[in-house]
Amino acid sequence: MLKLLNLSNIFFWIEKLIGFINSFFFIFLLIALSFALIFSPPDYLQGDSVRIMYVHVPSAWIGLASFTFIALLSIAHFIFKLKNIKLITKSIAPIGLMFTCLALATGSIWGQPTWGTWWVWDARITSMLILVLFYIGFISSQKFITDESKANKISSIVAITGLINIPIIKYSVDWWNTLHQPASIKLTGESSIHSSMLVPLLLMFFVLILYCALIFLMKYKTEIIKIKKKNLKRL
Amino acid sequence: MIQNFLTMNGYGLFVWGSFTLTFVMCGLLYYKTLKTLKKYERDFAKEINELSSERKKVVTDNSKIASQVLSSFSKTF
Repeated sequence: MLKLLNLSNIFFWIEKLIGFINSFFFIFLLIALSFALIFSPPDYLQGDSVRIMYVHVPSAWIGLASFTFIALLSIAHFIFKLKNIKLITKSIAPIGLMFTCLALATGSIWGQPTWGTWWVWDARITSMLILVLFYIGFISSQKFITDESKANKISSIVAITGLINIPIIKYSVDWWNTLHQPASIKLTGESSIHSSMLVPLLLMFFVLILYCALIFLMKYKTEIIKIKKKNLKRL
Repeated sequence: MIQNFLTMNGYGLFVWGSFTLTFVMCGLLYYKTLKTLKKYERDFAKEINELSSERKKVVTDNSKIASQVLSSFSKTF
């Protein structure tokens, strides 16, 4: 098991995985886009503007999931002090930040034809904006604090503090009166979305997850090379 | 039919705007990540190549990553 966690082995598998994902990514992208833009029906109330959901919802899911993952790994870093964990969180953060910003931007574009406004300071949107600030705090502390152990400590504290915001985002639509609709897809209980819209949504989510995996692997590989470059004299 | 697809029954600007924004941002992040990775690979390979042949052998024997980067770098160029 420990041998598998060895950076050389990880590096070897990263190369294989990047090649593997690249080999079928564009096929899945074309299928997902065809479903999202052509085959899925327009909504009876929102018309074709509902198609924005196919980029907005997966972006929001990825933004939330990435931060949750970063926070949990930061807790693990505090306990186990494994350097590898910090490399992982450092590689995930820019992806999460970009998708959270995309969720806000596409949500704003969707808001104009649906609600008649680009922006409202409601609970869901404001808590998502706070998530962006936590991401910026996490990335900045890694980037601008020169002392590595101090940077790791501060970024971990930012991530763990930001974890409080995750359930607030999730339940904001239930706890407060907001323009945002309640969740249509539930892990437990029956979803209120029709399969003709659920399939394209899940396909787009899958494609964006593949994209995230690709970016994560490339960033992780860069971090490993940085370490090896720094340690070249010791080899 | 094509016109309907492009105008999205009046929502074209919003729908195409969202999809374009998403894919342009994804493309930019991909490009930036790939560029940074290639830069570090190139710099690392360059540093190894600048070592004396004995030292280079020690480095490539001791580090699988160094030998992998070096071989992929020499394949590219």
